[in-house]
Amino acid sequence: MPVMNSAYNGRQPNDFKILTELEGVPNSRSLEVYKKHGGYSALEKILKGKMSQEEVINIVKASGLRGRGGAGFPTGMKWGFVPKGEGEKYLITNFDEGEPGTYKDRYIAELNAHMLIEGKLIAAYAIGASKSYIYLRGEFYDEIAWCEQAVKEAYAAGYLGDNVMGSGFKHHMDLYLGAGAYICGEETGLISSLEGKKGQPKLKPPFPAVKGYLGKPTIVNNVETLAVVPWIIRNGADAYKKFGTEKSAGTKLFNISGPVVRPGCYELPLGYPLKRFIYEDCGGLIGGKKLKAVIPGGASAPVLTAAEVENMTMDYEAFAAAGSMLGSGAVIVIPEDVSMVEVLENLMHFFKDESCGQCTPCREGTGWLLKMSRGILNGEGQLGDEQKIAEVAGKMMGRTICTFSDAAAGPARSIPQKFAHEFLEYYKKKSSAHGQG
Amino acid sequence: MAYVNVSRDPERNWKNGYLATSMLGLGTTLVTFTKQVFGLEESNTVQWPEVEYQYSDRFKGAHFLTKRPDGRVRCTACFLCATNCPAQCITIVAGESPDKGVEKYPVRFEIDILRCVFCGYCEEACPVDAIRLGPEYSMAGLAERKWVYTKDYLLERDAVKRKVGEKQVSKKDENVKHDSVDSALPNIHLTHTGGGH
Amino acid sequence: MSNQVTLSINNQPVTVPAGSTIIEAAQKAGVSVPHFCWHPGLSIAGVCRFCMVKVEGMPKLQIACNTPATEGMKVDTLSDEVKETHKWALEFHLINHPLDCPICDQAGECELQNYYMKVGKYQAQMEDQKVLKPKALDVGDTLVLDTERCILCSRCVRFEDEVTKTSTLGIFNRGDQATIGTYPERKIKHNYSYNLADICPVGAFTAKDFRFKCRVWFLKETKTVCPGCSTGCSVNLFQNSSQREYYRLKPRHNAEVNGHWMCDTGRTMYEHLNASSRLASPQLEGQSISSAAAMQAVTDAAKGLAADKVALVLTAQFTNEEYVASLSALKSVLKSAPKVFIWRDESEKSDDFDGILFRGDRNPNTRGMMDVLKEHGITATVLKGDYAPLAAAAPELTLILAPEVESAYPNLAKAVGRFSELKKTVYFGNALTDSAKKLWLRIPVKTFAEKSGTFVNFNGVAQKLKANPAVFANVKGVDEYFGDLSRLAQSAV
Repeated sequence: MPVMNSAYNGRQPNDFKILTELEGVPNSRSLEVYKKHGGYSALEKILKGKMSQEEVINIVKASGLRGRGGAGFPTGMKWGFVPKGEGEKYLITNFDEGEPGTYKDRYIAELNAHMLIEGKLIAAYAIGASKSYIYLRGEFYDEIAWCEQAVKEAYAAGYLGDNVMGSGFKHHMDLYLGAGAYICGEETGLISSLEGKKGQPKLKPPFPAVKGYLGKPTIVNNVETLAVVPWIIRNGADAYKKFGTEKSAGTKLFNISGPVVRPGCYELPLGYPLKRFIYEDCGGLIGGKKLKAVIPGGASAPVLTAAEVENMTMDYEAFAAAGSMLGSGAVIVIPEDVSMVEVLENLMHFFKDESCGQCTPCREGTGWLLKMSRGILNGEGQLGDEQKIAEVAGKMMGRTICTFSDAAAGPARSIPQKFAHEFLEYYKKKSSAHGQG
Repeated sequence: MAYVNVSRDPERNWKNGYLATSMLGLGTTLVTFTKQVFGLEESNTVQWPEVEYQYSDRFKGAHFLTKRPDGRVRCTACFLCATNCPAQCITIVAGESPDKGVEKYPVRFEIDILRCVFCGYCEEACPVDAIRLGPEYSMAGLAERKWVYTKDYLLERDAVKRKVGEKQVSKKDENVKHDSVDSALPNIHLTHTGGGH
Repeated sequence: MSNQVTLSINNQPVTVPAGSTIIEAAQKAGVSVPHFCWHPGLSIAGVCRFCMVKVEGMPKLQIACNTPATEGMKVDTLSDEVKETHKWALEFHLINHPLDCPICDQAGECELQNYYMKVGKYQAQMEDQKVLKPKALDVGDTLVLDTERCILCSRCVRFEDEVTKTSTLGIFNRGDQATIGTYPERKIKHNYSYNLADICPVGAFTAKDFRFKCRVWFLKETKTVCPGCSTGCSVNLFQNSSQREYYRLKPRHNAEVNGHWMCDTGRTMYEHLNASSRLASPQLEGQSISSAAAMQAVTDAAKGLAADKVALVLTAQFTNEEYVASLSALKSVLKSAPKVFIWRDESEKSDDFDGILFRGDRNPNTRGMMDVLKEHGITATVLKGDYAPLAAAAPELTLILAPEVESAYPNLAKAVGRFSELKKTVYFGNALTDSAKKLWLRIPVKTFAEKSGTFVNFNGVAQKLKANPAVFANVKGVDEYFGDLSRLAQSAV
């Protein structure tokens, strides 16, 4: 049972600043300001201290850092999968932030992209990659400019190049602009896109850590995951583990959207109470509306009812126990006056548009789910349709190459199950309309 | 070995004999004949061909092919009738229809009516309600008559169809495809709800 | 052994080479796993999600086509969970399928239909409007593409990328609007295009050559060998037996010869088999006669001739058995071997090879013919563009085993013209060729579809032809005619 974590009582969000340290600092995006706040000292510590690759990986492993893109896979372990020894390896940053409701990576770039570059350099050193890419979503015009500027500055300052900080470590970095496909946020889909192919996930095995970009070992990490690495190296794994819960260590950026008084990007330790986040940090719902439901981790996370929110804490385990997921940390608040059928139709429209069309259950299933939910919304539904949506979604789960169909099935199963009574109202509308006609 | 025992009538009696029973039968004939000559009883015999016998509307006689509302043949030359035909009397030659929405149509469609056993399997097999067995039963003719019914003959017998009643000829939805699917690749943008009639 | 693994499929043990996938192991064990996108001749796509099986110890069902078989693995393809998954996989494939089977040429050999009968048989649940896509697109000289029927298994895309390396096809758009198509301004243009229609599990690609001609359930297949070139692909020849009409050839898997494919040139090898393009009875100076009379005429002409006054002109389009029969018969009749010539077309570049299957030597049995001649100790003279050696021999009687596939001899008319200058020429050929009318005697022979025998390909692989009933009952094979010849010659003595 998730419980209120009393450790956070009385503490302000400002007490948890790791990634958002530069928040409010004037001219925060410049290299000077970053260096003043300890920037690139972690890289220096590694290169000058001649730390071995294993040492770096072990620190990250010890910190308990987990992938912040959504799946929550332990980062240190992922780096450890890369085969040792010679040969080209690649590091790719997933800056294709496409999960609806998520804007944490953009926030990092807005604060200072050097955090990402330093984190990338450390990760590249740990896996032995001499080339890395930042895969950016093409419509992030400002973020592209900021990242480009930061990469240029890093090259000029000798942090990137054939001889990084005179240590003999070689590393080059490029930006690659995606065309705005949600599926290119999936790591193998991203790799396909980077290779110049149609952005569709690849069959596993082989896994990217063994055979990824251009057939070479490749690590794909989220922006937030990499950006926090310098802090961990500087302050040690234990300092990072002080935040969060035992299994979900550290802090995380949470984005809240919906009718709350203070929406935005918040850095909070994992395990933070969800109710407190919504009602205290974000100031509750506008106009004192009642909360109906929360989608806790981006569009693909199964929905939580207001009752489930009561005692929920924001960490991987608690969400998983409630049948949902932490995902990218995008909290979407749904007030009492929004119909869940509309929410379902909206989400299904998104998933139908974004399915890559490769695997049959997902390609055909997402379209079918949209047609059914749209039918209900238009008053053409009949009793049992909501069960059919949940059934079809269930048959799509775990049967495709990537987890996209599981993502689409998340809301498609949870909404009809938890809010079946709202569907009944739409069916009634139909029968009354027929009665009049 | 099986055999049938044809024994004589055990009650050998003159009443059961050949002559007596024949005379009794002729007597019945004579009585009925007399009654009908004097109009005391109505005759069951129809004076064909002067008088036409009225079969049920469901009578399954000679075939005809149905048409689309625009007058073209409904048949799509799927060969299911020919496949299903136990007498193998249907010959079809398929061709590319000038109408892209239909694709396939019968260039030739022939029924060898002498071979046909009027089982109606062709009608049952047809997925588009293109072939039907009509009420026409008087198919007798002389040797020089065409016994192979051609597509044109099967299509153009409006009188037969009128008997069946136009409304009965087809109630099924038109098996025509949508016009909006002619666009060329790769930029097709058809909506998922598209294609309303 | 370390390079072999043993696993059990439905409790039935099977041993396969390490690195094999479950689907390959299942095939070996004789267990059918339903699949669309997997094709043994192509790379693995894993997109149809139909071949799912239960592997003990794995939480989710696995696709059999991409899961490597490991030692001691326990695979189950019969559990209710697997059956349910197959049923739903089929439902997903069918919800946007147009179901225009009545006008689809694939109906009858469509994997979607077959699997529906095998693992589907459910009441369709989809009640909404299907997705509409372009139909009957012209994608090249040989194929028609119906994108609505397509189930996006990507076999065709992989074939173009991996086998012919032409990469004409791609999948455009996403989600349920995803559509197979050719890249702008490009058409499918290569000599292996009909393979696309073969590997398409549904009727998305249909062959123009076969389009609307015949429903497949009227066709019967015969396992035989393609006579199109010296590769000698293993093929299935399809005949409508009630019409005695041949409609098409399809490749038959043979790892030693052609793998899974065959070329488009080979696909035309049914055209010369049908009655409309064939000589029905022997023609003696333009007059139809019976086969018996024809052979009597040949016997009479050969009577008393010295062996060196008889020429035998061979083309490498007959079976080993026919060469043996003709040489033995002539030897016994003439008491010695006749002069033997080999007729090859002057345009032939026998060493050409397209890198996949098609070879420049357009005769299916060059190797076999050479072997037979060698066995009989005969040295043959090659006639290739130059017919002087034949004219110099001044034969009284010339027996020509003419090419069955005349398209392989573009200069045939010229050669026949030269033959007509000789004294008595007997032309064993089945085509209606105008140029051959000038010859003394024309005798129709059986085609490769109607005879049993052996072809030896360029690589020395011998394959058997299998006979179908003859199109013309009176037409015999070369071996039978020469059998008649030696019998007639003997009885005359």
